Amino acid sequence: MATVLIENLTKIYPPTITYPHRVQALGGVNMSVTGNVFVAVLGPSGSGKTTLLNIVAGVETPTSGSVRAVQDGVPAQVGYVFQEPRLLPWRTVLNNMLYVQDRKSDRSRREAEFYLTMVGLNEVAHLYPSQLSAGMQQRVGIARAFLVNPDILLMDEPFSHMDALTGRSLREYLQRVWLHTRKTALFVTHDVSEAVELADRIVMLRPGGVVFDDIPVNLPRPRHPDDPAVRAVEGEVLRRFDSMEAAVRFGAQAG
Amino acid sequence: MTDVAQRPPAPPGPNDPYGQVPRGAPAPPRPNDPTTFASGFQELPTLPVGDLRPAGDAGYSAPRRALRRPWVVQLIAFAILLAVWQYLTVASDRVPSIEKVVSFMWTEVTGGSHGGMLVGEFWGPLGLSLQRYAIGLAIGIPAGAVLGLALGTSSWVRGLLNDTTLVLLALPAVVWAFLASLWFGLTSTAPIVAVVLTAIPFVAINFSSGVRSIDPALMEMSKAYQVSRRNQVVDLLLGGTLPNAFTGVRLAFTTGWNSLLIVEWFSATAGVGWRARLWYDALRYAGFVGWILLFVLLITLLDRLVLRRLERHAFQWNQKPTLSFAEDWGM
Repeated sequence: MATVLIENLTKIYPPTITYPHRVQALGGVNMSVTGNVFVAVLGPSGSGKTTLLNIVAGVETPTSGSVRAVQDGVPAQVGYVFQEPRLLPWRTVLNNMLYVQDRKSDRSRREAEFYLTMVGLNEVAHLYPSQLSAGMQQRVGIARAFLVNPDILLMDEPFSHMDALTGRSLREYLQRVWLHTRKTALFVTHDVSEAVELADRIVMLRPGGVVFDDIPVNLPRPRHPDDPAVRAVEGEVLRRFDSMEAAVRFGAQAG
Repeated sequence: MTDVAQRPPAPPGPNDPYGQVPRGAPAPPRPNDPTTFASGFQELPTLPVGDLRPAGDAGYSAPRRALRRPWVVQLIAFAILLAVWQYLTVASDRVPSIEKVVSFMWTEVTGGSHGGMLVGEFWGPLGLSLQRYAIGLAIGIPAGAVLGLALGTSSWVRGLLNDTTLVLLALPAVVWAFLASLWFGLTSTAPIVAVVLTAIPFVAINFSSGVRSIDPALMEMSKAYQVSRRNQVVDLLLGGTLPNAFTGVRLAFTTGWNSLLIVEWFSATAGVGWRARLWYDALRYAGFVGWILLFVLLITLLDRLVLRRLERHAFQWNQKPTLSFAEDWGM
């Protein structure tokens, strides 16, 4: 069983030439995720969502605190869907998939084709990323993340650059693949409806990188944004979001 | 935690036939398995791939279409060149005519007599020059690539050798040619060393800038996925460096050929450069022009028939249908 245990996680970026001030991205985050759950990390811009994911992925190092991402006691394999697809432009779709595999065997090729089929892209495996639309490229990114058979799936606002229709379609693809694999997922977003549609649990971060609220979402899957139950949860999350904003504003005024 | 929706999670069933796939469990069903997509969604259709070919010359009249064909444009350029040459032949007695040059080179190829002791010689000098050139490039290009990759990936190596490489790059081919002649005299080593020394800085600097132009986001992605070192080197490093590497290699081919000619001109007893010098000294301008033209023709053919084709093949990923200024302006 995969576990992500985050304890008192702090990240402070040092001053740079362009911005000569220290920036606190995370201010002591504590949370744990265990089992095959889909957790959405929701928060406004500047709340440290991406930093949190990058630290879990091992791309960035924390200033203090610790992150343990393990599967049965050993370091977990991570699959990461970035905001942008991050595909090698000079490799075909299939070779982009195989890039993250250690060995390019027939088996890994078949698995890559399998996940491309899952996201409806088996016909374009031989094309280059520049020949695909942005939505198709992001679907390759999703398929690639599942291909490594990740213990933990990290997703950083993967649909934020998409138009509403493409984003909706991609959410459907993601739900479909996730239902098939049921990986432990950490999904960063600032879109409340996206969080409610996809997650079993919503962790709200406030600016400065502190957990404000932790909300379970017990709704049957697959979910659709027009479902009244989904809308009801969305309303509740938005109400809490408003109270968070008020608390932040009040805190700022009091400070 | 506070429950917002008290509805219980969906039980495993038609909407969720998969459940958790435990670690080490058999591989998931393959795409052809009809049960694969029974996850509560209708199977989503595979999107059709549109016709990715560029629109082409549609909309132009037939004569304009013909004039836009690359081989027609090149034919026109060649005809202009010949016309200018013919004009210069008429205007000056120092410029040999096309007919004289062709006739002279034919005598060289067939080994006929140029009068007196002078007999034609073609394949020997040409073969020797090509051999020296190939050996020089076979050493210079890999050496430059290794140096370039080291410069691009290691800040320590960059601090140590970057300025030196830039200085070497700034030296003209003729300097390398003279140095090689001084060091190795009238041997075959001098032209080979000149080609090597000319090629290395061009290849190294271009490889180095290629490595440094790789998107850091791709490196972050590789780190997150713990991509193997082998895949990172082959797919990311070499793949990302390829456009710059090609530029470096093409420059190495051109400048290497130039320095070879110069060394052979000044300090060789055989080769294309030596043959051109021989006819220059003998005041046989047809021979001189013929060998120089052969020199230019060979490098042009190499570029057109080998390097450009390789480049086109290697950069298929970057060939998108685009609108050029000429098309935009209806030219």
